[in-house]
Amino acid sequence: MSGYGTAEDGTPAVWLEGISKRLGRTWALRDIHLDVERGTSLVVIGPNGAGKTTLLRVIATLLRPSAGAGEVLGLPLVRGADGIRRGLGLLSTRNHLYDDLTALENLRFAAWMAGLRAREERFRSILASVGLSSDGERRVREFSSGMRRRLAFGTLLTRRLDMVLLDEPYASLDGDGIRMVDGFVEAWKRAGRTVLLATHRRGLAVRAADRVVVLGAGRLLRYCRPSELDPADLDGGTAE
Amino acid sequence: MQLALRTWAILWKDMLIELRTKQSFSAMIFFAALVLFLFGFAVGPDTATLSRLGGGLLWIAIAFTGMLSLGRTFQSEEVAGGLDGLRMYPGEVRAIYLGKLLANFTFLLVLEAFLVPVAVVLLHLEPWEHLPVFVGIMLLGTFGFSVIGTFYASLTHHLRARELMLPLLLFPALVPVFLGAVNATSLALAGDPLGQIGVWIRLLISFDVIFLVLCVWIFPTVLEE
Amino acid sequence: MSELSAPSLPPTGRAPLLAAGALVAMVAGSAAGLLLVPADALQGEVQRLMYIHVPAAWLAMLSFFVVFVMSVLYLVQRDLRWDRVAASSAEIGVVFTALTLLLGSLWGKPTWGVWWTWDPRLTTTAILLMIYVGYLVVRSFADEPETRARWAAIVGIVGFVDVPIVYLSVLWWRTLHQPPSSPRSTAGEFVYVLLLNVAAFTLLYIYLMVRRYRIAVAESHLEELQMEGA
Repeated sequence: MSGYGTAEDGTPAVWLEGISKRLGRTWALRDIHLDVERGTSLVVIGPNGAGKTTLLRVIATLLRPSAGAGEVLGLPLVRGADGIRRGLGLLSTRNHLYDDLTALENLRFAAWMAGLRAREERFRSILASVGLSSDGERRVREFSSGMRRRLAFGTLLTRRLDMVLLDEPYASLDGDGIRMVDGFVEAWKRAGRTVLLATHRRGLAVRAADRVVVLGAGRLLRYCRPSELDPADLDGGTAE
Repeated sequence: MQLALRTWAILWKDMLIELRTKQSFSAMIFFAALVLFLFGFAVGPDTATLSRLGGGLLWIAIAFTGMLSLGRTFQSEEVAGGLDGLRMYPGEVRAIYLGKLLANFTFLLVLEAFLVPVAVVLLHLEPWEHLPVFVGIMLLGTFGFSVIGTFYASLTHHLRARELMLPLLLFPALVPVFLGAVNATSLALAGDPLGQIGVWIRLLISFDVIFLVLCVWIFPTVLEE
Repeated sequence: MSELSAPSLPPTGRAPLLAAGALVAMVAGSAAGLLLVPADALQGEVQRLMYIHVPAAWLAMLSFFVVFVMSVLYLVQRDLRWDRVAASSAEIGVVFTALTLLLGSLWGKPTWGVWWTWDPRLTTTAILLMIYVGYLVVRSFADEPETRARWAAIVGIVGFVDVPIVYLSVLWWRTLHQPPSSPRSTAGEFVYVLLLNVAAFTLLYIYLMVRRYRIAVAESHLEELQMEGA
């Protein structure tokens, strides 16, 4: 299936050239240039409205750029959308869970939508790995926001991914949940997957990241190693 | 194969949600019955007039009630956080349309299973003589309604004034299917005295096929952002 | 801000010439229709309405055909210029569709004794008006030019494909009840006068398109300027 665009052919995981995206009457992204190597992790920081989510949605082929060009996993952004989606998973801030389905049913739906048939044991082990082993038969309506976040994480685990995009993965998670996220990010990196993580929190992920991008008002303000980050960048990037 | 699995996933999911939130469904049946009552008041109690207009009145009731159910097609996705949830999976995007179309079709058929008997009683309809033909016409008309309706529901679902825009775009496009369904139904109810029913059924089939091909073809563009 | 080209509107060089041409042709066509040809033997003077009714209907169809072609072009090439042409053509088309209906109604009253008749052509024209009013309303709901163009193109394509199907279904609906009651077909000198008027209206369409397209370009420049942080 992965005949093209694999890590071995040396293409970067993400390559963006002058990407702009207009949303309503504002430029959500202006002239973004970005290069992300395979198997590395990139943390995108910036205040609310800086364009973090828009950037992830453009990379995930959910938004067609208004201007500019780019490749993700070696495939062109617009024309290669289906191939890109095949290797890419996005954890959205909205979770995309169905309240009236149980946790197990939500996982089964996610697998089916990706064209996969899996046994129930597989879904149960996913639930266990996100700390919801005893909640499989409960409807999501009864879940707390932290549990929803964990289950949304679980939907990513139903398929094999070359790259994972995480939009505010720490949102509404407690200390355990945050450690769970960091554990997954570590494991993905060890397995050679590329991880893009957008957050307004400077948690473990920023320090563990290979590269950091600072966004502000849709523009790329800085692109550097975490150690090279200015404290000013972070102040601009977070109110905490 | 993958298209079938994805289509089935959406149908399964929407039906499951529908089964677990029966309130809105029962409310919709009562709305449909209410519409039929209003027709009765508007037309008057004369049995002959009511049964002569029966086919048309039945389809107007279906169109109005169906409009409400179409508006809900993408509501479950909005509650879950928007269509991105479906769009981010790999695979044929048309599966989303086909799944939603089959869900709407199934939902409307179940609705009609309640609505038609009520209409038969209230409007003094006589479908018995041509019952298989009558059922076939209901299936064809409902399918055409679902094909066009699901398409425009997907186009208007995130518009600010979608309650207004859906009927504004849908009803003109629906004219051929509506004319076909109403005339075929009326003829079936009247016992098809002139043997014209075959023409309408063939037209209805062609309209269903034309619109299905057109909507399936253009659908991926609808979901872009 | 390299992608924001400096406001430059298409030249208007030949527009006044077009306007003059359209005006002359319309005057000539109307004069011919009113004075040159005799009144219809059956319908009398009112039949002269045909010389603007038919060209108006032709223009409406032409406009919507242009919308259809431009919509397909836009979806294939994603060039906003096609969308501007489509939008301009749709507006002109709606105006002339409304005119067609009005004239048809005026013609119908003395001929058939009613303002409205469920004639297949008239009914299809009314549905046409609804489809393309929907097209214009959909346009007004989108903030981003690309989204607006995409939605409009979809409505423009499905709407146009719908037109012959609507016509066919209404025709069947009418003929199965009673024969269609349209004005009889025309022949002889009528045809030349009619053709002259069709040509005049087509010139008018081209002139209106040139003007309306210029406004569309100006509107998109304005939209760029209104962008925050542009």
